[in-house]
Amino acid sequence: MDEDQSEETTFVVDEITTIIKETVETTIGNNSYQHEKINQWMSSIAELSLSQLTKLGKPFKYIVTCIILQKNGAGLHTASSCFWDNTTDGSCTVRWENKTIYCIVSVFGLAI
Amino acid sequence: MEEYHSGDEVSFNPDDASNVVKECIEGIIGGVDYSQNKVNQWTASIVEHSLTQLVKQGKPFKYIVNCAVMQKSGAGLHTANSCYWDTTTDGSCTVRWENRTMYCVVSVFAVAIAL
Repeated sequence: MDEDQSEETTFVVDEITTIIKETVETTIGNNSYQHEKINQWMSSIAELSLSQLTKLGKPFKYIVTCIILQKNGAGLHTASSCFWDNTTDGSCTVRWENKTIYCIVSVFGLAI
Repeated sequence: MEEYHSGDEVSFNPDDASNVVKECIEGIIGGVDYSQNKVNQWTASIVEHSLTQLVKQGKPFKYIVNCAVMQKSGAGLHTANSCYWDTTTDGSCTVRWENRTMYCVVSVFAVAIAL
């Protein structure tokens, strides 16, 4: 019981990485960068990721941030810092790319 | 365990956070050009200093600060956030800053600690 509890209330990075990758693949896949459609792709990734996370049924508040960058040689750096409870909270970052698009999704889970 | 009396103390003020972040960005990359070698330490400094300033406010929140710095070269950049939290207490703000050679987007999320 305690062990199950521990597993249920832990932020499992591998599990969440898989969920995010599936979401991005489904939404963007092999599409090229299209200025008109980027907005709805962005919304889809953020919302679908969040839906999948809440379905896990864990006692977390979630924050999902998504960045899509057109691939044309520009430099991009991202960083994050957190002030939270190390024993329960966690984050994972997924970097995904195809020929014309970079996509970076960060997920933060904070225990209630 | 301290008790918080004032209503203001337990709600996230986006304007305050926005000002704090802008000051940090100006202080670190205010007048400089994009430099491949230095951008790593710039992004790290921005998030660390922003977080330090936010924590000093002494409010009962867990904070997450996310920063993206991009070179200005005409590429399209989109950012989006979605959250699953308690809307009565938690909040976020996003600051967009730019100079001649780079864009900087900083997002701050504050999540209330259960008391």
